[in-house]
Amino acid sequence: MAVQREKAERLADEELMPLVGDCDPEAFEVLYDRHGGAAYSLAYRVVGDRAAAEEVTQEAFISVWRSGARFDSARGSVRSWLLSIVRNRAIDFLRSRAGKAPKLTFDDDSVLEQRPAQEHTEEEALQRETAAELRGALGNLPGEQSKVIELAYFGGFSHSEIAEILSLPMGTVKGRMRLGLEKIRGELAEGLA
Amino acid sequence: MTTTDHNRWSDDLGAYLLGALNPNEAADFERHLEGCERCRQELRWLEPAVDTLPETVERTEPPPQLRAALMAEVRRDVREDPRAEAPAPARPAAASPWRRWLLRPAVGFAVVALLVAGVVGYEVGKDDGGGNGNRVAFEEQIGGMTVKMIQEGDGGKLELAGVPQPPEDKVFEAWVERDGEVEAVPALIVPDRNGRAETTIADMSGVKTLMITVEPRGGSETPTGETIMEMKVPS
Repeated sequence: MAVQREKAERLADEELMPLVGDCDPEAFEVLYDRHGGAAYSLAYRVVGDRAAAEEVTQEAFISVWRSGARFDSARGSVRSWLLSIVRNRAIDFLRSRAGKAPKLTFDDDSVLEQRPAQEHTEEEALQRETAAELRGALGNLPGEQSKVIELAYFGGFSHSEIAEILSLPMGTVKGRMRLGLEKIRGELAEGLA
Repeated sequence: MTTTDHNRWSDDLGAYLLGALNPNEAADFERHLEGCERCRQELRWLEPAVDTLPETVERTEPPPQLRAALMAEVRRDVREDPRAEAPAPARPAAASPWRRWLLRPAVGFAVVALLVAGVVGYEVGKDDGGGNGNRVAFEEQIGGMTVKMIQEGDGGKLELAGVPQPPEDKVFEAWVERDGEVEAVPALIVPDRNGRAETTIADMSGVKTLMITVEPRGGSETPTGETIMEMKVPS
């Protein structure tokens, strides 16, 4: 039985999720109204195209609607969970748009090991990253740290791809990711103190 | 767990949280996490930093039609799902065929041993009932899944029923085999809550085999994961 919209609006996200899992459209609508803007903004930030961002956001929310029971409150907030789904969908979209699945023969293992050699220059990669300026805690990081974090999180590149793009050892890339996240976390902790 | 062991993995933590490890590396790191309390603590400490990243994005207002389209699809689901009308129903466990298929070893096209399971209701040439002259090219039941192909010109619409939900962080990807080569079907398979899914195959000429596998998010260039459905296309 669907709850009334007014009642759903008074519930916390974590209280809405069981209702969403029980196919309650009012609860789902409230969830979208709370987080749809952030979700669409994130999708647009990653894919850089409004129509694609719309498609990604819709797919992400539909997956939430159809798998609402998977939310585990022990692993974080509903908003973080939802935005991670949006981010993953957006990265999937980028990768599918980059082209994949050429015709392959069954026994051509050498071809199977290859990834599309696309966007392997810093310029090409960063063109995909021009939708927004880094802000807040991320913007306060040294450029070398924010760049690897941005390429990974918003660009969907692996550490080895980033190492190739930036002509850096893989260990350096991973170290900068770690240091950058530690600094952001430190700023968050200071803000909460 | 020695300090040396921990240090070896320490720098992977940031890349792992950012989704920047390759799948095999991520799996190795997760195995390490199981036995390293120090890494688990650091992971929990750093997670909020990653959660902050989407919040740094400049806000862009979504178009109103997005909300309308989303809710239209949601309400369509509700109309088609009688569970939605029942008070507080318990969600069913994952479909049993999924568990059964998971126990199967991965089957690659390179070592194809076609598993054409019990064929039920194989119908060729029947009108699909849509009033558009399209034909049902074939309809088969494989395990718990119904696979139906509606012919549309040179290609067809593949309609699936009884599809389990993919594991978290995985997707289903369809493949066709023709002339000794395997090709991915561009659109990933996304089942709805009733286990229905569909995708379009632009060119069915010469297709001998259909297969659906479990793949990492974003799909793969070749089949790599567990096979959940594999069938020989009726000629």
